[in-house]
Amino acid sequence: MSAQRTRVAILGAGLIGIDLIDKIQRSPYLDCALVAGRTRQTAGLRRAEQLGCATAPHGIRSVLEQAPFGLVFDASNATAGHWAYLEQATDTTLIDLTPARPGLAVVPTVNAQAAASCRHIGLVSCGGQAALPLLHALAALSAPTYIEVAATAASASAGPATRRNLDEYLATTSAAISTLTRVPEVKVLANLSPARPAPPFRVAMTLLADTRGLTAAHVVRTAERAAHEVRQFAPGYQLTSTTVGDGQITAAVEVTAASARLPRHAGNLDLINAAAVLLAEQHTRRHAKDTR
Amino acid sequence: MTKTRTRQIILHDPTLRDGQHAVRHQLDAAQLTAYATAADAAGVPVIEVGHGNGLGASSLQIGRARLDDRTMLTTVRAALTHSRLGVFMAPGWGTSTDLRTAVSLGADVVRIAAHCTEADITERHLGVVRELGAEAHGVLLMTHMASPDELAHQCARMVDFGAQAVGLLDSAGHYLPSDVQTRITALTQAVDVPVLFHGHNNLGLAVANSLAAVDAGATIIDATARGFGAGAGNTQLEVLAAVLERTGHPTGIDFRRLLEAADIAETHLMDTPPTIDSVSLVSGLAGVFSGFKKPVLAAARATGVDPVDLFFELGARQAVAGQEDLITEAAQHLHRTRQHTPKERTAPHA
Repeated sequence: MSAQRTRVAILGAGLIGIDLIDKIQRSPYLDCALVAGRTRQTAGLRRAEQLGCATAPHGIRSVLEQAPFGLVFDASNATAGHWAYLEQATDTTLIDLTPARPGLAVVPTVNAQAAASCRHIGLVSCGGQAALPLLHALAALSAPTYIEVAATAASASAGPATRRNLDEYLATTSAAISTLTRVPEVKVLANLSPARPAPPFRVAMTLLADTRGLTAAHVVRTAERAAHEVRQFAPGYQLTSTTVGDGQITAAVEVTAASARLPRHAGNLDLINAAAVLLAEQHTRRHAKDTR
Repeated sequence: MTKTRTRQIILHDPTLRDGQHAVRHQLDAAQLTAYATAADAAGVPVIEVGHGNGLGASSLQIGRARLDDRTMLTTVRAALTHSRLGVFMAPGWGTSTDLRTAVSLGADVVRIAAHCTEADITERHLGVVRELGAEAHGVLLMTHMASPDELAHQCARMVDFGAQAVGLLDSAGHYLPSDVQTRITALTQAVDVPVLFHGHNNLGLAVANSLAAVDAGATIIDATARGFGAGAGNTQLEVLAAVLERTGHPTGIDFRRLLEAADIAETHLMDTPPTIDSVSLVSGLAGVFSGFKKPVLAAARATGVDPVDLFFELGARQAVAGQEDLITEAAQHLHRTRQHTPKERTAPHA
């Protein structure tokens, strides 16, 4: 293992930012060198300090002042892109978790290799992170003509940015699914559940395809294999059902948070953050190899 | 707010939207035209049309509609001379694009819906409706799952976002009149815009609950011809109109013509008018979305479990509208557990 960890900065100290700190601190490859919020007074920044991180109040300005960083995670609510500043002034790589989800849309087990030469990596939404590993594998198996995804998150696990940007959530998630499965017709539905106790993050998928010649065992095996790969970095990811027949394949997954910093129902946040940190580690290791 | 008994009540008619649940969203253009023409002639103030779950909701998950949103709106718009055209949209199922299309096709009254504790997802879309110049209503779904104070707080937020009327859908048909009284009273104290109520008849109380809502200060009440709607059906429009007449609340509707419209609904839209069958009664008792009835019966048949057991299971899981994917999974779960505890009950054939 390299003795030197990569210096990383986090923009944003909300629920996502704080959980990112925890995941980065557990990583053998990353060093959380700065958490930049918008003002000094946020509870999030105080929490970050308690966790032993240096903090700064001026967002992207603070990051630019304290550069260089090997990687920057954008977990802010910014709709105006921080990427423009970072691209001009630094040679850092940005891992983007903002609601607009710009950058190359990535799901680790599906297209991480495409991120290798990319300096602006966008995480596909949590719904896409949960659905795409299975959809990608099942689409390769069945050449579907239509894909539908219904994601249900616990009320408490959806932050204000997600709530304000549900239209974008649906649009970016369906676009990413369409691109990565090469199925043109995709529909995404999203629910926020008021149930108490809060239920785990749940994503149900349906693919319309020619199912003649597909056995249930084959579909289950394919789905289980995809789920197993995700569990390597997000242990709370579980396949709960699969069906096949009559021109239709269905699968559903539930995701609970395995992180110490998140309530159990916030599997959506745990999954997208785990994906972001995994991509960061892969990037760092690649970079270390290149410069050795 | 004045609570005199002569207060005018606006009857809002979602026969051609909520009724879609009873026919798996399969109404055709001739059916829409027949009912919309008759309801318009009766002077029904607002006629709402769409997929059962509103704009953008046609899907494998919730059920695919026979007609697309655009065709439904164009068809009903053409049939209306005086009545205003209503639509319904829940963020997460539909989007701002759907709203823009609907208003451009002539929607006058737009309902933006969210589950009972999720009003903040309506901020963007209520703003879009206001910007488009249509009348914006903010409505909460599955409202039996939240307290009166919480509902009042959520409705006040929707008013802040631009809603010109706010209110509650008893999506599961779970309320008693006293529940409605408490909740509508809390709303009227919290907001200064008209308050609305939308009942379902699973416990046989839709008309009584609507009257309780009026007594507590609601001025917009949803009701459908013959109660055509999800599960045990909605508040029956022609009955409510008669009851409001007797209690001294003018509705501005031509009662004889409303009876004709209700007859047309019965002959043109449905095989049989909704009844409170055993499954619908259990659905209301368990607090499950009324629109789940058809998919629950289908899943029960497919797995051989009792739909009554399935509704109680879904109630225990607190499934909400839009979570139809839980139905099959819950049925399979019951099927598996039933292997260990055999029970001599068979699913009815619908």
